[in-house]
Amino acid sequence: MDLAYTPEQQDFRAEVRAWMEANVPKEPLVTLEREDGYHQHVEWERKLASGNWGMVTWPEAYGGRGLDLIQWLIFEEEYYRAGAPLRVNQNGIFLLGPTVMEFGTDEQKARFLTPMAKGEVIWAQAWSEPAAGSDMAAITTKAIRDGDHYVITGQKTWSSRASFADWGFGLFRTDPDSKRHKGLSFILFDLNSPGVTRRPIRQLHGDPGFAELFFDEVRVPVENRIAGEGEGWNVAMATAGFERGLMLRSPARFQAATERLVRLFRQHEAKAAPAAREQVMQAWMDAQAYAYNTYAVASKIMAGGHIGAEASLNKIFWSELDRAAHRTAMQLLGASAELRHLDGGALNAWLEGYIFSLSGPIYAGSNEIQRNIIAERLLGLPR
Amino acid sequence: MDVTLSEDQATLTQGVRDYLAGVHAPELLRALDASDSRRSADVWQGLTEMGLPGLLVPEAQGGLGLSLLDAVLIAAELGRAGVAEPLADTALVAAPLLAKAGGQDALLAAIASGDAKIALQHPANPWVADLDGASHVLSAKDGALLLADHSGGGELLDSVDPLRRLYAPIAPSGTKVGSADALLDHAALITAAQLVGVADAMLEQATEYAKNRSQFGQPIGSFQAVKHHLATAVVKIEFAKPVIQRAAVALTERSASAPVHVSHARLAAADAAWAMSETAIQTHGAMGYTYEVDLHFWMKRAWALSGAWGDRAFHLGRIDAAILGGALPIGPGHSFA
Repeated sequence: MDLAYTPEQQDFRAEVRAWMEANVPKEPLVTLEREDGYHQHVEWERKLASGNWGMVTWPEAYGGRGLDLIQWLIFEEEYYRAGAPLRVNQNGIFLLGPTVMEFGTDEQKARFLTPMAKGEVIWAQAWSEPAAGSDMAAITTKAIRDGDHYVITGQKTWSSRASFADWGFGLFRTDPDSKRHKGLSFILFDLNSPGVTRRPIRQLHGDPGFAELFFDEVRVPVENRIAGEGEGWNVAMATAGFERGLMLRSPARFQAATERLVRLFRQHEAKAAPAAREQVMQAWMDAQAYAYNTYAVASKIMAGGHIGAEASLNKIFWSELDRAAHRTAMQLLGASAELRHLDGGALNAWLEGYIFSLSGPIYAGSNEIQRNIIAERLLGLPR
Repeated sequence: MDVTLSEDQATLTQGVRDYLAGVHAPELLRALDASDSRRSADVWQGLTEMGLPGLLVPEAQGGLGLSLLDAVLIAAELGRAGVAEPLADTALVAAPLLAKAGGQDALLAAIASGDAKIALQHPANPWVADLDGASHVLSAKDGALLLADHSGGGELLDSVDPLRRLYAPIAPSGTKVGSADALLDHAALITAAQLVGVADAMLEQATEYAKNRSQFGQPIGSFQAVKHHLATAVVKIEFAKPVIQRAAVALTERSASAPVHVSHARLAAADAAWAMSETAIQTHGAMGYTYEVDLHFWMKRAWALSGAWGDRAFHLGRIDAAILGGALPIGPGHSFA
């Protein structure tokens, strides 16, 4: 164990810091859950790509820099330190990207990864259906083979980014007679294909970032399928592993929130409830614990290991620490917590953040599902 | 930057775990509980033959010269096995402090050979464990760490933990061998590490019980309510471990921020162990409320260690000064400040 950054890692940090300081927008962007904000965030993705920062861990051939996971964590730290915008492309770079890297053909990698890294194609997720949420194996949306195409019919919901994004990925039932985990395939589709209807869903914060998707005999080329027909469940589980395990929520995000929380506490210290003091300290401790653990997971993967069911531990930990930190901030703000804009007209970021934090224990597999996974796969309790 | 444990560390930890599982099983805890002294010369002899007292003694004095990072891994195994012999205080706390102080070669050699046992006393830890039987006492006084010979007993206190032997403190005396703060930080770190081992043992017992106890025609571990309690406890335990390792590295490097990291480790470990103790008894149901299952040994150890070497208020106070007081840089990029 060596907790010191190498000179190369320090140089890399300096390089990221300099670029971010020169390029991160001085004014916050409009939320990416709204159409104008979405386009601002896409512009930012392209700016990032112009500096070759789209996804630093990917091979250079696909628009990356071929860096390791420790460097990725350093990149993320500098990204959040600079207050850079949220990644509108996170579904692509953090979830679909690693999936294509692991399961895709060379042709698929060339076709999908480079535009992803360059911010040219923004991706939506399409997993859940009205009757298949936590029980994802209950998916019924069909993709029936017709020559060299699949014909997709059915409905997806809570499809994040789908109101405005370009492409989507998800699981579809390619064997109409199959049940549960069998007969599902992992398919990528153009959201502008004929037969796709998007119905934006207004979220808790009032904006329409995600959508319902209706598929009416949508024709998708067979070459858009990742891995074999009927192998979709295992591919999706790997994607879910990336989401829960390492990349979706880098510790820097929570360290940045904690730093702001400590500043907020100092401003409100005189009238803060006694418990707030300890809650703020707990937020710092939890964000740090998450950082140490993430560095350990990254080191383990770099040494040839992989993340299994312990990804569920991470997902519970970051989602619950995030909610607690934002709840503490709301309580510190007191009567001002409900105001959508604070002094000077700036958006009440704690309110927005608290609302968003409530989704954390639900998406990417609800925390109840994660606790089942821990109990059954890590502890070996009976199903 | 490499946050992995070495193969040697994994091998050592597993070796100690296997050894203790063989010689320090719950039957032994019950036998010790039934004895007057609660201590066993045979057990100590066995631990000595395994080389455990000398783990952190330099090689020149007959030890293995291991690091504090190794020490926290071993301390967790002592907690897991419910070891109450004064091994952690002597081998994992006193030995590295004496090695750092210098000029204590003979005493270090005596630690490695199992002949010296060292009791520790500090104002943040008002009761002295295993004063009776100690050959030496390390005491904090006016910020200094004093080493004195010791013989004879002391005033025995009655701990809820049947295997702890606690004594009222004695007047500090002896020669200066370091700082009182160093004693506190080392002991708090080793206490934290023992606590996660204690928590892991309770988790294992509760999980086994949930697999084997049937109600309503099925194992109670198949019920989601039970699963979720246990899963919540696992999250706390697993996220305490990297904090302990991070604190061990900070203390090894004697970084200025080490006390903050030790306090973080100590708080995280105590929270995890205490929560696990309540989850474990709940999982055991009425059986958990008896002396008939072994769980109580670990529950009581969790309560005891949670108040030792700085209580919750003390450690939160150090976090408060560093984080809310602004002494330590925080935020992205300061993961290892």
